[in-house]
Amino acid sequence: MEVLGLKALGAGLAIGFGAIGPGIGVGLLGSKAMEAMGRNPEVIGDIRTNMILGIVFAEAIAIYALVVALIILFV
Amino acid sequence: MLKRLITPRNLGILLIIIGIFVVSGALGLLKIPKPFVSLAAEPIFYLGSFPVTNALFTSWIVMLLLIVLSVLGTRRIPKDVEAAGTDELVPSGLQNILEMIVEFVNNLSKEIGGHWAPRFFPIVATLFLFVLISNWFGLLPGVGSIGILEHPHDLTVTSYVANGPILTSEEAGVAAALAVGESSDGEGEEHGGAGYVVIPFLRAPSTDLNFTLALALVTVLLTQYFGVRALGVGYFTKFVDFSGFKQGVMSGMIGLFVGVLELVSEFAKIISLAFRLFGNIFAGEVLLVVIAFLIPYIVSLPFYGLEVFVGFMQAFVFLMLSLVFFNLATIGHGGEEHH
Repeated sequence: MEVLGLKALGAGLAIGFGAIGPGIGVGLLGSKAMEAMGRNPEVIGDIRTNMILGIVFAEAIAIYALVVALIILFV
Repeated sequence: MLKRLITPRNLGILLIIIGIFVVSGALGLLKIPKPFVSLAAEPIFYLGSFPVTNALFTSWIVMLLLIVLSVLGTRRIPKDVEAAGTDELVPSGLQNILEMIVEFVNNLSKEIGGHWAPRFFPIVATLFLFVLISNWFGLLPGVGSIGILEHPHDLTVTSYVANGPILTSEEAGVAAALAVGESSDGEGEEHGGAGYVVIPFLRAPSTDLNFTLALALVTVLLTQYFGVRALGVGYFTKFVDFSGFKQGVMSGMIGLFVGVLELVSEFAKIISLAFRLFGNIFAGEVLLVVIAFLIPYIVSLPFYGLEVFVGFMQAFVFLMLSLVFFNLATIGHGGEEHH
């Protein structure tokens, strides 16, 4: 198999599998935040801030996978 | 004001413009050169034998910008604050914005740092502002697009025919590239392709792993400094923990193992801080260029907004993480702190 084909396959698999976990994680965060906001509408602002913070950390793992994919493709 | 702008007539005009761009993009009438993604920052000039990369050069510009903004913003502050009248103390314009940012970071460091806030605040605010302006700098027009036209070293990269100083969307044939390579001296070294790619003059500093790695190293080394400042040399018993042996050999072994885990997690902090910032901003840059390549001019706009938001969030996350790490270092694992 040619190197270029394998590279493309590797990059695709890296980001494909790498984004599953963070996707589930962000979904869980969002759902729990919605629940909390529904139970306590007073602190919606605080909940929203902390939810965004949590989402950024979960996204970071997906970004690691993306960086690996980019390294495979372009380096 | 927004409600008055959204009339059916305006919406119709907007839809027609978007439709024109989408159709012409799909038909291939508007073309943008295929993105040339370079993970490493490219050197643009040399100081002696030291290569100055475009990201390094841009970080100098960011530093200069921050210094100039700070000087301009604090010019109106009276030298003697006690004796000044209230008229002179009320901020306005640039000073107001800077005070908003300073208050934001200060409140955050007081909330997380407690009584250590005055010592954390300068470092953390510097990191936040430097990272924020570095992230946003990559979104300015001209950054990443204006640069030197060069033959690409890698023949598999699509290169484009240059029309004078402007790169066209006409691809330079690979056959022509190979012909150029063979007709020159046969010493076996690789020759660039026949076409050109752009090596930008300016590039967002956060897209260079050196920059983010340096910031991450500084942050983690500073946590060790603050730990020693708070707890004395006893801070390092976090990593080499013999106190478990008081309660039996098993506890002692577990304590030692936890110490090793703490040491490993320090290195994990360096890597995660560096790669989180690098990955987010670099991937955002690649995303913008690829989306512009796919459908020019229109579809880039929502992603541009996303990048502005992501740039701010990554700077904010760097700020929060630095504060949390500094705070954890000063607390120590027993929950006690010495002054």
